[in-house]
Amino acid sequence: MKYSAMLVAAGVLSAGTAFAQQGPIKIGVLYPLTGGGAVYGVPAMAGHQLAIEELNAKGGILGRKIESIERDDKLNPAAASSTMKELITKDKVDIVLGGLASSVGLAMSEVSKQEKVVYISTIPKSIQITTDKLHKYVFRTSANTDQEGDTMAMLAGKNKLSKICHLELDYAYGNDLEVGILKALPKYAPDAKVVLTLKPKLGATDFNPFIPQVMAAGCDGVLSGLWGPHFVSWVKQAAPLGFFSKIKWISGGEIGSHEIAGELKAEYPDNVISNTYELWYHGNDPSHKEFQAKLAKKLNTQETPQWAVLGYIGVMYAAAAMEKAKSTDPDKVAEALEGLSIGTPVGKLTIDAKTHQANIGQFWGPMVKKPDRAYRMMEPAEYIQPK
Amino acid sequence: MTLTMFTLNAFYGLALAMNMFIIASGLNLIFGVLRVINFAHGMFYMFGAYITFTVAKTWGAPFFVGVLAAAAALGLIAFVVERLLLRHLYDKEHLMQLLFTFALVLLMSDAAKMIWGTDQYSVGYPPGMGGAVNLGFVMLPQYQLFLCVVGPLIAVAMWFVVDRTRWGRVVRAATQDREMLAALGVNVPMVYAAVFTIGSALAGVGGALAAPRIALVPGMDATIINECFIIVIIGGLGNMWGSFLGALAFGFVVQFGTVLAPNWQDVLPYLLMLAVLIVRPWGLLGRPEAGH
Amino acid sequence: MPSYRQLIASAIVVLLLALLPLAGSRYAIDLTTEVLIYALFALSLNVLIGFTGNISFGHAAYFAIGGYACAILLTTYGWPLALALPAAVVLAGLVAAVVGYFCVRLTQIYFAMLTLAFAMLVWGVAFKWKEVTGGDDGFTGIKMPAMISHHIGYFYFTLITVAAGIAALWVICHSAFGLTLVAIRENSVRAGFIGVDTRHMRWAAFTVAGTFGGLAGALFGMYHRGMYIENAFWTESANVLIMVLLGGIYSFIGPIIGAAVLHLLQTFTNQYTPYWPTVLGLILLVIVMVLPDGLIGLARRVRGRGGRP
Repeated sequence: MKYSAMLVAAGVLSAGTAFAQQGPIKIGVLYPLTGGGAVYGVPAMAGHQLAIEELNAKGGILGRKIESIERDDKLNPAAASSTMKELITKDKVDIVLGGLASSVGLAMSEVSKQEKVVYISTIPKSIQITTDKLHKYVFRTSANTDQEGDTMAMLAGKNKLSKICHLELDYAYGNDLEVGILKALPKYAPDAKVVLTLKPKLGATDFNPFIPQVMAAGCDGVLSGLWGPHFVSWVKQAAPLGFFSKIKWISGGEIGSHEIAGELKAEYPDNVISNTYELWYHGNDPSHKEFQAKLAKKLNTQETPQWAVLGYIGVMYAAAAMEKAKSTDPDKVAEALEGLSIGTPVGKLTIDAKTHQANIGQFWGPMVKKPDRAYRMMEPAEYIQPK
Repeated sequence: MTLTMFTLNAFYGLALAMNMFIIASGLNLIFGVLRVINFAHGMFYMFGAYITFTVAKTWGAPFFVGVLAAAAALGLIAFVVERLLLRHLYDKEHLMQLLFTFALVLLMSDAAKMIWGTDQYSVGYPPGMGGAVNLGFVMLPQYQLFLCVVGPLIAVAMWFVVDRTRWGRVVRAATQDREMLAALGVNVPMVYAAVFTIGSALAGVGGALAAPRIALVPGMDATIINECFIIVIIGGLGNMWGSFLGALAFGFVVQFGTVLAPNWQDVLPYLLMLAVLIVRPWGLLGRPEAGH
Repeated sequence: MPSYRQLIASAIVVLLLALLPLAGSRYAIDLTTEVLIYALFALSLNVLIGFTGNISFGHAAYFAIGGYACAILLTTYGWPLALALPAAVVLAGLVAAVVGYFCVRLTQIYFAMLTLAFAMLVWGVAFKWKEVTGGDDGFTGIKMPAMISHHIGYFYFTLITVAAGIAALWVICHSAFGLTLVAIRENSVRAGFIGVDTRHMRWAAFTVAGTFGGLAGALFGMYHRGMYIENAFWTESANVLIMVLLGGIYSFIGPIIGAAVLHLLQTFTNQYTPYWPTVLGLILLVIVMVLPDGLIGLARRVRGRGGRP
């Protein structure tokens, strides 16, 4: 971060010289670094920085060094909109990456449309970004709610759920995921019935109004979009009542990640099947292992967070598109991104030319106890990629 | 709603109320005596939870040592802040205190990030409190039963201190007329410092006691501060039993409201406050301020 | 009436700003547009605080109503700007009048909390009325008239609108109405004795504040081409309150300075460090400890003119 601040200062000092024309390629990035979104934004930024460091060590993009200009989006769409404009008009970035909240992703997409600068949405999942509000300059390298919902419906069928309780957070992601699940459910589990739908509010810490209702509904499985702290609070409050001994919990929202398993340890409940973008203990292919090792070194921990890979993939896509376009011109980069395939730590990805959506998959599987570990692991972890 | 569900929800509403009362009682005390709108109270609550995590989980001390540590640490922080900075603001433009506590929120949020990072944490239940009591027709979580005992205990303790001791009389007098109190030879600044310290320590205890039930994450301070203000206001400013009543109203309205009208859960506390203030402009047990 | 010196000074400021697009970069123009909008927003709030002594914790509500209404009328209903903007401002004023009717019966912190409660209801409506407002995805893709869709055009539009708004607020605050409000702030009991209907006056001030807050919101929404529920949330109300307090509540231009300083600080600190809250917090702390009357108090002290206007 200091490094990039120095580069910004250097850029200001050297403005107006010939150096400016063949100066570095500038990549702007926004993640939430303060407040509630920092849990995910900070690791995503680490993955972003790792990718930049790696590319620069190899000589940058198109023979030019990369300068990463990193900002806090404050989890606020209007602030993100202002900051993104600033990156474009003041810092003259060539491309913008990042975002976390759906609303921030949509706000950034709006700026990208007005200013005709390519924006790669690396975490926001709202389906709107690549459907109703799709335009030439916006692309997504994270999963979307339709994909996640499709897999959850498939798992409901596979686990032969018949009476389903549906739990979603009452905001954009939760509502979109619900739509995605309901769309796919008849295909995979034609006999399953949703007997109860509940929507706790975003940021809820007290689930007492909901837990008894789910227990009384007599469902054999829950389809849930309760992510991160919401899931942890739910577990803390529901587990004393024996909730998880009776009910299968199939969940989106990446609660199968090590961040949560490692924190809850023995308190992590039985019967959870969920997803994660990345598994540090998975490492089944060389590029995955290599990424893992570098990230572990950067963060000084073996147990790396899953969000870093999303920040990493965003940068790698930006670099590949510029190389393919042999230019940083937004129109050419946008064209290059359409249909572009690259190798990533989680396998080969392709951005669909029409929907601008990458076919990024997620690891899905049950969270099981291991005799040699203090925390649960996903086993077997299956990498499910959209067709 | 069946009788079982009603009983369970009533119990949960009570548990929520008691948890909120513990946090709000400190805010009420500070608000009532110092007339300071302490935006940083939610931050104190978050620090209480994080300190409990460090003491009880990282260092492996018993949970209740963590609770005491949280109270002590927050009391100490508050005492230093009051003596060094806040006391200079009492005589200045009243609203500047609000700016001051806002600055405190910014500084403390970053301090928390530097100390604990941005990972999410959890604290285990104290031994013997992680299960449920089976009453046959209903299961009640042990830890929440415990909260239902602690809440009233704190209320009674505060009532005793404020209403039955000399020091309490001084504090009550300080809410009315501090010039007069100073003229009578009372060390008013120390009374203020003590009130700010105790009020903040209570926020720390509130955070510590909430910790086993929830995930500890950056931003957990954000909504709690509003909810505490709502409780204090609907009860009547500076009135301890008012806050107790306010917390009960809050707990039951939020619990049953969320069950019956889940679409309105986000604004339920505000609807409650709206209703109370329109019917009783000075809160349930409050009295009109002098001069109005 | 303003003194000639004040009039000339204001004219020079507006003129200098009008010259900005000739010299300034695109970034400077955008940033100035943002500052102008926040200046009007903060100033509208100070009609309430500075002139009646009542703080509102819910001023974002009228900002959001103005912003959403203008955005929806322009985009969903295809109204021309000349109709959509006034309609949005009137709507914000009407809602402020209704809310104010209940709020002015209360004083001090109870007043503040009631404004907060109403504002959170507005937030709730923006959140839940998804078909109209877009819910928490936000209302993006606002259709703009061609004349002001370019950033320079929008800058001039904002400059003219904000200047007119500030001038209108100046006239209101320095009229008999404004002076009566000051009397209420200083001593509402005595104002009552000399026959002032304090509640009516405060109600009128509340409505004026909401109306101009709505105007600022409409400008904000069009500038961002989007409105978001965060703009109605209590944190936004707190933000504008901080601007007012920072600038100083006892002077007409205090809130304008407070808005400019806080917004620029928030923008620039984020450019230099992810620990911007620490930097911003320390700066605010120094201001609070050293300058009890806000920034405007400093200016006064430097010029050796103490006291309040």
